[in-house]
Amino acid sequence: MRIGVMVCHCGNNIAATVDCEAVAAAAREFPDVVYATDHMYACSDPGQKTIEQTIRDLKLDGVVVASCSPRMHEMTFRRAVERAGLNRYMFEMANIREHVAWISLDRKRNTQKATDLVRMAVEKLRVDRPLTPKSFDVQKRVLIVGGGVAGIQAALDCADGGLDVLLVERKASIGGIMSKLDKTFPTIDCSVCVLGPKMVDAGQNPRITLHTCSEVEEVSGYVGNFEVKIRKRTTYVDWTKCTGCGACQEKCPSRKVPDAFNENISLTTAINIPFPQAIPKRATINAAHCIRLTKGKCGACAKICPTGAIDYEMQDEIITEKVGAIIAATGITLFDHTRLGEYGAGRYPDVVTSLAYERMLSASGPTAGHIKRPSDGREPKTVVFISCVGSRDRSVDRPYCSGFCCMYTAKQAILTRDHIPDSKAFVFYMDIRANGKGYEEFVRRAQEEYAVEYVRGRVAHIYPTAGPDGGQLMVRGADTLLGAQVEVAADLVVLAVGAESSTGAPELAEKLHISYDHYGFFMESHPKLRPVETNTVGIFLAGACQGPKDIPASVAQASAAAGKVLALLSKDKLESDPQIALVQAIRCIGCGKCERTCPFGAIRMRELRDGSKRAEVVETVCQGCGICSVTCPVRAIQLQHFTDSQLLAEVNALCRTWDETTES
Amino acid sequence: MAADQAKDARQAELRASVISELPNVDFVLGYAKGFDPLHATPITVRSEKDAARLIFDATCVQNLTTGLYGLKGKRIGLVVKGCDSRSVVQLLQEKLVERSELVIFGMPCDGVLDLAKIRVRTDITQVRGAEVTGEEVRLLLPDGPKVLPRRDVLADKCLRCRYPNPIVSDHLIGQELTPQGAEDTYADLDGFEKLSPQERFDFWKRQMSRCIRCYACRNACPLCVCKHVCLADSRDPHWLSAEATLQEKWLFQVMHALHLAGRCTECGECQRSCPMGIPILLLKRKMNRELKELFNYEAGVDPEAVPPLHTFLMEEDKIKDRGQLW
Amino acid sequence: MQDMGRDYRIIGFLCNWCSYGGADAAGVARFSQPTDLRIIRVPCSGRVDPMFVAKALLSGADGVLVSGCHPRDCHYTEGNLYARRRLEMLRRFLPVLGVDEGRFEYIWVSASEGSRWRDMVTKFTDKIHQLGPMPRMTEPARTLCALDGMLGQSLAQPDMTQPGQPVLPDWSKPAPPLTPRADAMLSMSDIAGIAPETKGDGNGR
Ligand SMILES: Cc1cc2nc3c(=O)[nH]c(=O)nc-3n(C[C@H](O)[C@H](O)[C@H](O)COP(=O)(O)OP(=O)(O)OC[C@H]3O[C@@H](n4cnc5c(N)ncnc54)[C@H](O)[C@@H]3O)c2cc1C
Ligand code: SF4
Ligand code: SF4
Ligand code: SF4
Ligand code: SF4
Ligand code: SF4
Repeated sequence: MRIGVMVCHCGNNIAATVDCEAVAAAAREFPDVVYATDHMYACSDPGQKTIEQTIRDLKLDGVVVASCSPRMHEMTFRRAVERAGLNRYMFEMANIREHVAWISLDRKRNTQKATDLVRMAVEKLRVDRPLTPKSFDVQKRVLIVGGGVAGIQAALDCADGGLDVLLVERKASIGGIMSKLDKTFPTIDCSVCVLGPKMVDAGQNPRITLHTCSEVEEVSGYVGNFEVKIRKRTTYVDWTKCTGCGACQEKCPSRKVPDAFNENISLTTAINIPFPQAIPKRATINAAHCIRLTKGKCGACAKICPTGAIDYEMQDEIITEKVGAIIAATGITLFDHTRLGEYGAGRYPDVVTSLAYERMLSASGPTAGHIKRPSDGREPKTVVFISCVGSRDRSVDRPYCSGFCCMYTAKQAILTRDHIPDSKAFVFYMDIRANGKGYEEFVRRAQEEYAVEYVRGRVAHIYPTAGPDGGQLMVRGADTLLGAQVEVAADLVVLAVGAESSTGAPELAEKLHISYDHYGFFMESHPKLRPVETNTVGIFLAGACQGPKDIPASVAQASAAAGKVLALLSKDKLESDPQIALVQAIRCIGCGKCERTCPFGAIRMRELRDGSKRAEVVETVCQGCGICSVTCPVRAIQLQHFTDSQLLAEVNALCRTWDETTES
Repeated sequence: MAADQAKDARQAELRASVISELPNVDFVLGYAKGFDPLHATPITVRSEKDAARLIFDATCVQNLTTGLYGLKGKRIGLVVKGCDSRSVVQLLQEKLVERSELVIFGMPCDGVLDLAKIRVRTDITQVRGAEVTGEEVRLLLPDGPKVLPRRDVLADKCLRCRYPNPIVSDHLIGQELTPQGAEDTYADLDGFEKLSPQERFDFWKRQMSRCIRCYACRNACPLCVCKHVCLADSRDPHWLSAEATLQEKWLFQVMHALHLAGRCTECGECQRSCPMGIPILLLKRKMNRELKELFNYEAGVDPEAVPPLHTFLMEEDKIKDRGQLW
Repeated sequence: MQDMGRDYRIIGFLCNWCSYGGADAAGVARFSQPTDLRIIRVPCSGRVDPMFVAKALLSGADGVLVSGCHPRDCHYTEGNLYARRRLEMLRRFLPVLGVDEGRFEYIWVSASEGSRWRDMVTKFTDKIHQLGPMPRMTEPARTLCALDGMLGQSLAQPDMTQPGQPVLPDWSKPAPPLTPRADAMLSMSDIAGIAPETKGDGNGR
């Protein structure tokens, strides 16, 4: 083998504390090294030209560059050696800047260490083998899981970019939490007025296929070629026939069904369309409450339906689709405040969640926008808002901040004062988190213009009390600024419940082979530099499923994820990284241990004609972690470019170097 | 003598069971009398005539499950002691053998002899006869009998045996026994670990330098199912060179212990087979002790158990977050 | 602390995504660190074969440090969680070989934790300096080894059923002089090498 070594000065960055000429001179003595030099800037144009020229002139088979971190310039140099006709994996880098020159001023030791690292790189290179990536076709379609504002935005952007989109939503309509909101901070514009048109677009765009009442059942395959099984839950209504006229809903005799869309503060019918702006605007039967489905009688809806869409025999359906990329946008659910005894554990009807309150405020809500106490329908005159319910609370294992509650609480307090001008609004808070454009000003307006009273402190206890106009709730807490106990007699208490990962998020993450944190929020690939990617190539994140987020941030991330998908699927073919595991079939004994530990399901057991088994790596699925290599007792499965022999070469090189230095 | 009668009855029962199964198996692996009174020898039984040679007593030290993996595809009958059955369980757990291909003759066992222990007490080449009773081992030597307390010459594993009755079997031969050993106290390890690191290092240096790299230890191990492609012999990956240096020999023992982590049932075959008398079981016992402590795991007792190194917990209860400790 | 006038022999196995980046970050921040450590880059701490560590230590490395992403942050989701179990086992196993437990450590450092990396390297290096160099792997004299073998040290266990009867082998002393193992595969030349004047404990001491 003929190896060339270049030791980079990096201007003075390395040369100041490492004797680069001495390192190059030492390298000349290493086995197979036919050429070693030092250079002012290896990565510069002349530096790269020198590398290329030397490869051609001296017919080198491999190159070592000792310079900065491979995380910095490995690709630069790989491309350079490739231009000169070498395989890009016949290149090794010794990190003598970040790991040597910059951490010590001891020139003698630095020089020795740099020499050792070059020797290590040379020894590794001597056992490196050329590797070639394989290319494969991609499906120009994207699956989006979750049809909240993030999912909708991502779907529209992807469709705009020319991709076919499958939007899978668990509920009957897309829209997510935002479709339930009345107004949004900090502009107090109507939520459905901004979201509605987007929902309609998503419903009408010929590139977007909506699958509502649906969930992802199974995901297999790999970037460019995922295969997804989608379970379409039965609605008992044939949606190809249903026109959304709502006649069934009027006739349905089962009228005591808690209305989930209205956060169960009102009732609806067993067959219903969740809300007037629903997309798709189709009826579904709630099987648990349908008299026909539970008792066998009735059938009123089937009789009235003008298109004959009702089908009581309808079954779940599972469809299989192929997509090239996946965006998870499953959003959040809300903390269950009934876990907290101090707020009445759900016993007091006049203690409501913030989202239920949004429904009360909404003109299209059950009270047509009039705020009424659930207990007696009276208009409340004193409303107390309690923030951080199930946020920043270690005792319920929710130490994180949900981010948007401070803001929507301010919004709801403003709206309360708007709706009932002679009302009083109190907010119990811990800190006010208002770090967004116009947010701090918004909270100030609540305090100054709308005279909302902010009390800094935690509420210890809520208990019923007989007020002048009947049942009131006494809210007792500490005002930590005044250092005193306060008590407020409230007509209505609104709990700013925190965000939790959406129900079933961990299960979905496992199907997708992506990671999730302790709370079930999906993990991004890098918190700063790869915020919308996951560690599984081809799967991206949008919206609050990655962590609590308000609408602007959710939408921004959705567009970012769509941009990533469009960039990825703009190519007709993708290349697979050749640094993946490979099984030496003659050594594999088919014990299947590797298969069990591979986190990506990249290993399959193949049966030979004699009935024995061998492991086999699905090249496009393997991510190159090397967990399998260590699991295999015979080490028959080896991660290319990081094989046992290659890493041992490095270990041996270091140990040998030391032996020589000790002896001399 | 009563003990003798019981032994004979058990042997007869074994022979009868084996004969009854002969039509269903390719052959049965069992023990027969060996070349001297202290040795039994493994035999393959294919006929009633062979079956008449079957014995079972304190000389039946070998673990007949070694090599079972290589017989995959055949239907095998197998005579196992309690400890050997753990190897079977482990092989089953790793799906290396098929339960349906095995017919197991389980022998409750009250201990086998450790020849190494007899050897240091007498010249075993001179033994002309041997008789094992409940309390003693009576050796017939040219200059008269020599009586050794039985506990002194039983294999170590038998002294701490908690599974005298086979965990899996199709035919249980004779009476089940009550386990005599309590929880393993690892007193030997404790004793060894009282030495300073330097002394331990020197101990192994001495021991390992005697290793002749015969790999008898590996070849005897029932769980080294990959011996035909063993990492120790491989050129790529190239872990061990052919040089007989101390390092290579030592590293092999580390390799064996690591490959057996969570799998070794402490059958002791490796150490028993070592012609150089190197106490390599100690390494595996160390591994097992730590596994027990960390993961409350013991190999070869539950065919459905998940091997602790092939799984993890997001929050490990016994592993402290390292970097915080210093 | 011993200063050998040269670096100690410390090998680091760092995962590419977190710890290698953390070490880079420490460099970029110009955090001054001991020079002894030589870093080998691996894709994931799950790729670190405990045998690499054993091999390095038996080949004369004075210390080995493995560093990966924090649990839950593994680039490959689960690599460090497997690694944690494997490496913890190894850490607990090494002492029985006579390798001081302080010579091997595994830690988690993320790509942004440059200063944590500096602290870890400094502490680990200090510890290795305190422990001094790893004992050398020179072959003990052949005759003494042969003696050990002939004596066939017994590993008798104490009687578990009858406490208070420990028949523990004394590991540091040679076994009492006994008849040579007639059936042991000792070559005659080894045995012939035992000079009657051989005193000491068979340990060369
Ligand atoms: C009371 C309240 C008031 C708020 N007010 C404001 C405000 O004024 N301004 C503001 O900016 N933000 C506000 N927010 C925050 C806002 O609701 C979120 O930022 C936004 O909804 C996040 O959008 P998303 O699409 O990520 O998630 P979501 O809106 O939660 O949508 C997720 C969708 O995915 C679906 N889904 C979940 N899991 C699955 C699955 N496994 N399969 C299929 N589908 C699934 C869900 O059914 C849902 O439709 C408020 C939040 C609350 C609770
Ligand atoms: S390297 Fe091995 S364990 Fe990792 S993804 Fe590839 S096949 Fe799976
Ligand atoms: S662990 Fe090794 S021997 Fe077992 S199936 Fe996988 S590659 Fe083959
Ligand atoms: S059986 Fe003994 S001598 Fe042979 S390789 Fe194993 S330890 Fe070495
Ligand atoms: S390593 Fe030794 S004791 Fe353990 S299973 Fe193998 S032969 Fe038996
Ligand atoms: S030592 Fe390891 S590789 Fe060799 S046979 Fe045993 S388990 Fe297999």
